[in-house]
Amino acid sequence: MRQDVASINRSVFNAYVSEPGLLDEVFNENNLVKDHYRKVFTQFSRYSTDDLNKINEYAKLSFFNQGVTFAVYSENLKGIERIFPFDFFPRIIPNKEWEKLEKGLLQRTLAINLFLEDIYHDKKILKDGVVPAELIFSSNFYNREMININPAGGVYAHVSGTDLIKHSDGEYYVLEDNIRCPSGVSYVLSNREAMKRTLSNLFLSHQVLPVQDYPEQLLAIIQSVAPDGIDNPNCVVLSPGMYNSAYYEHSFLAQSMGIPLVEGRDLFVDRNFVYMKTIYGPERVDVIYRRVDDDFIDPLSFRADSVLGVPGIMGAYREGNVSLLNAPGTGAADDKAVYTYIPAIIKYYLGEDPILNNVHTYHCESDGDFRYVLEHMQNLVIKPVDESGGYGVFIGSKASKEELAQYKRIITANRRKYIAQPIMSLSVHPTYIEENGCFEHRHIDLRTYCLMGKKKQFVLKGGLTRVALTKGSLIVNSSQGGGSKDTWVLE
Amino acid sequence: MLSRIANSLFWMGRYLERAEHTARYARVHYCSSLDAPLVQKKEFVMESSLNLSGLLYEYKKAHGTLEDEKVLYTITLQESNPLSIRACVNSARENARGARDSLSSELWESINRFYHYVNNYSEADLNDKGIYNFTDKVVENCAIVNGYVHKSLIHNEVWSFIHLGMHLERANQITRILIAKTNDMGKAATQKLGKVVENYQCVTLLKSAEAFDMSRTYYKAVPNYHDSLEFLILNNDFPRSICYNLTRMGRYLDRINHSKLQEKDSLEFTVGKICATLHYLTIQEIEGDVLIFLNNMLLSINKIGELIEKKYLNY
Repeated sequence: MRQDVASINRSVFNAYVSEPGLLDEVFNENNLVKDHYRKVFTQFSRYSTDDLNKINEYAKLSFFNQGVTFAVYSENLKGIERIFPFDFFPRIIPNKEWEKLEKGLLQRTLAINLFLEDIYHDKKILKDGVVPAELIFSSNFYNREMININPAGGVYAHVSGTDLIKHSDGEYYVLEDNIRCPSGVSYVLSNREAMKRTLSNLFLSHQVLPVQDYPEQLLAIIQSVAPDGIDNPNCVVLSPGMYNSAYYEHSFLAQSMGIPLVEGRDLFVDRNFVYMKTIYGPERVDVIYRRVDDDFIDPLSFRADSVLGVPGIMGAYREGNVSLLNAPGTGAADDKAVYTYIPAIIKYYLGEDPILNNVHTYHCESDGDFRYVLEHMQNLVIKPVDESGGYGVFIGSKASKEELAQYKRIITANRRKYIAQPIMSLSVHPTYIEENGCFEHRHIDLRTYCLMGKKKQFVLKGGLTRVALTKGSLIVNSSQGGGSKDTWVLE
Repeated sequence: MLSRIANSLFWMGRYLERAEHTARYARVHYCSSLDAPLVQKKEFVMESSLNLSGLLYEYKKAHGTLEDEKVLYTITLQESNPLSIRACVNSARENARGARDSLSSELWESINRFYHYVNNYSEADLNDKGIYNFTDKVVENCAIVNGYVHKSLIHNEVWSFIHLGMHLERANQITRILIAKTNDMGKAATQKLGKVVENYQCVTLLKSAEAFDMSRTYYKAVPNYHDSLEFLILNNDFPRSICYNLTRMGRYLDRINHSKLQEKDSLEFTVGKICATLHYLTIQEIEGDVLIFLNNMLLSINKIGELIEKKYLNY
């Protein structure tokens, strides 16, 4: 028995079993529905499996026709298009909880920006020994081209996508800071749209904070960091092109901000100014929100074989004739090894205690930690520091003896590359499972979006709740079978 | 506007129009052959359809004999054939996707739905339901997309480039249809097949251009070759005549062009000159040698395409 209301049909929640030791977002330890979920739960309980299947199909079709898809890399040049699975049971965050998160995110992003400015200028924090210098200089993402460059407004990380989880102790923890080219925000907006189309009546009984203002906020941030002396900056979104897995998002953001979507081949550099090739000839470009990775952005400075970038763009950037969001070289601060020093970094620059928790991290580079990791592998998650998308992640509790031995060899061979963390238990949330026609619990996390410009900052209310759709799985990435939910912050 | 986007929009228009013409031609010819005068062998019709898309040579090399199902599959669904309807729709959608940020969501969705429809249609469906069902849906989807092009976009450069592509392709397709049918009729004439066959050929010609009803209204007579030619080449008010489409292109080009100077042999000059010639031409002057006229027309249309590319679309 899950609810004290006798009249409701509980069949779609019948199979719902809570597992001891896991934190459920909707049910408390006595299996009662938490207050902020009561209305939504009551409504879903009234639906039959047929109703839910209909809702599910309707939502899917809406995504498909809109072309809200991502490409999975495959042998076929075209790439396979998939819709990002959407779960219509919304994740709800009470306002009190959110306020703290928002403050914490702004604090973190501010500190990271100060840190980036420091490591590309005076390197005080390294000289003071708060962060080991060799950790920064050995990072693949520390970009020597950026030394002594002054980005407009002193901002490096304009768009950050910090990933949070809720642990079994009920606290949020930062899992990683994504400050290179974080993606997924278009799904936040299209999830909300799909939710409003399919279950509009749910919104009547809740005061949900809007997410639709993200594009206009992003545009204001982009314009705020235009080169000095430019009144009406010409801003563009730079995409690797339509075979990129996030192309839908690039075109969506460009369209909703009303600025052009360009590819590297549309741009060229002349005398340190960037131009785009229009039907009436060259037109100057002032600000570029680029969704192309550092390595590919300028074949003259970085990877010579890149066809996605713009030759000479770093020269124009160095001269201050064009602004790039995010700045090149921000990766030096979201490296998973630097992650562990973020609390110290916040303390160093802001003199404040960190508002958001960090997960304790062991560096395989340090001898003491390395020994601990080898001895406790089955209780740890081990990750390469420079990969994203959930690739190369080793989860100790799920590994066989052979895998354990094999991974031991891998990390011993390249200790700098690996960090380990205690296995955090991601909270679970009821999720509609199509094959079984009912709700079951699945692990979730939360990607947040924080914007920082010249004297402007913004946190998207909510973010992207990602769901690991495979039973028991902790990996929520879309490329590995993850889905997502609409995320509500209540007023 | 970016040249690359202009290029995508232009080709989106061309591919949509091409898919529509290929579909209509195949449907009209196949269906009319079902109750054609005895001598109008189905084989003859198959050959004509393949000819229109320029596929006859390739097909014969691959299959040798003409078989209904194989021919229809080649024209409609075969993805490896870059001129099949499916390939055209795929290319149209690919171009639309590349220019997604300049289209309205409604227009994009209509193209995307069209794409999913065509790609979910299997060879078995085609054999099962027949050519009529598929081609009819293709033509219908094109009409929906055209509707959104017309009423959901600002009538600016984006709109103009889509239309330039559509009109250029339509002029091209109409010219090719006229050449294909003139050839068919030449074959029929050498076999001394008489009036019935001429009439039959003219009806399929007009229907392939969606011009049958309007030409009846205009001439108030049973269609003959003379009237049909005049209607499809010179009628300035009918949206499927060569003259009409080239005149429209002139207007879109004026809209896009910012410079008021007109250099000799420039794009605008070339289009203007061809239009002016067509406006003062009579069908009697063409009838002397129809095929030479039509082949020259095809060359002129291709030349316009090259000039547009050179002036606006290179990137």
